[in-house]
Amino acid sequence: MAERHAVLPCNGLDKPVGPLAREIALALVEACQGELICPVLYNNLPARYAKALELPLIVIDGCGTRCASKLATEHDLKARRKIQVTDALKEIGESAGEALTPDPERLALCRQLAERLLAAPAEESAVDAEAAFAEPVEYATATHDKFIFRIPTQGYLFNENHCWAHIAGSRARVGISDYMQQELGDLTFCELPQVGTEVEQFGEIGSVESVKAVSDIISPVSGRVVAVNTAVVEAPELINEDPYVKGWVAEVELRDLESDRALLLDGEAYLALVRQKAAEYRP
Amino acid sequence: MSDETFMGVPREKIPWFPTIDYSRCDFCMECDKFCPHRVYERREGDPKLVVANPTNCVVFCRACAKTCGPDALSFPNKPEIIELIKRLREEDSNG
Repeated sequence: MAERHAVLPCNGLDKPVGPLAREIALALVEACQGELICPVLYNNLPARYAKALELPLIVIDGCGTRCASKLATEHDLKARRKIQVTDALKEIGESAGEALTPDPERLALCRQLAERLLAAPAEESAVDAEAAFAEPVEYATATHDKFIFRIPTQGYLFNENHCWAHIAGSRARVGISDYMQQELGDLTFCELPQVGTEVEQFGEIGSVESVKAVSDIISPVSGRVVAVNTAVVEAPELINEDPYVKGWVAEVELRDLESDRALLLDGEAYLALVRQKAAEYRP
Repeated sequence: MSDETFMGVPREKIPWFPTIDYSRCDFCMECDKFCPHRVYERREGDPKLVVANPTNCVVFCRACAKTCGPDALSFPNKPEIIELIKRLREEDSNG
C-alpha cells in the first residue's frame, strides 16, 4: 500500500483536461486511501482541510495556468509530488482531447498517470532543501597565471552572465560565480531583491558593487523569491570568500526549471566557458 | 571580436545594447565612466557621446541605465531577446 497523501487537484471543469485531473485525483485517493481536497472549498474555508493537510501533499494541475499549485503556494503548502496533466500527456504522446467527459482510454491513462506519480521519487521539501544547500560542494578549477577560478561540479546551473542557481527540489539558491567575484574584486555592497518578487529567467535579482564596478545579478531561473541572504548585506565579503555557499543572494521557488534549464550551462560547460574567459583575463 | 558568442549565438546577431535618447541626454558621461566594457565613446563633434561598440555590451546587463539621471538610456525588451536567442539556437541546431 502506498503512503497516504492529501490530494489537491485543480477544478478545471470547463476544459477537457480538468476532468482528467479529477480522475487522476480520484485514482490517487483510492490507491493510497488518501484525502481529497476540493480547491474551491479549500480556497473559501482552508480550516476544513487542516487535518487532511497533515498528510504529505500531491498537487495536480490540469493546464499551464497551474491554479492548484498557485493555491498551494498562497497557503504556504509544500507539495511532496506534483503533476501537470497537459504536459504529462504530451510526454507520452497523448492529449486531453476535445470532450469534457473522458473516454475509457483516457480514464485508463489517468489511472496509469496516478500509479506513476505515486511510484515516482518524492520532491524534496523545503526542509530537505535547506539540508541540500548545506552539503559540501566539490569544485573543479580553471587556472590562469596566479588566478584560480572554482566551479562546482554538481548541482549548480550557470548562465553566461556568471550567475549560478543551486537546485534542491523545487527551490534554488542564486548567487554569483567565483569568476565574477574575482573580476569585480572586493565587494562593498550587495543589494537584495524583495521577498515575494516574481523574477523572470535572466531578470535582475539584486546587484553587487565593488570598488571597481557595479553589476546586476542576472537570475538563471524563473520563480518567486522566498528568502534572501541578509548576511551578505552586513558582510558583502562573504561573496568574495565563499561565492557558492555562504555567499548566496536569494532563494527562489522554481516556476519552470525544465524550460529554464534549456538556456543554462552545467558545471562542466561553465568550466569550459571560464577556461576560455580566463585565457583573456586581465584583472 | 567577431568570433564572440553568447549562449551559443554569435554576439552580433543579438541586438542587445543601449540606445541614447539625445533629446534627453545631457552628456554628463556618467554611463561612459561607469561601463567597464567600452560600449560608449566620447566624441569631439556632435553628439559628444555615442554607442560605439554595441557588441561589447553584456547581454541582459543594463546597469549603466541606473547611472543615467535624465533617463536617456533604453534597452530592448528582455523577453523578446530571449525568444530571439532561443530561435537562433534552434536554427543552429537544426542545420
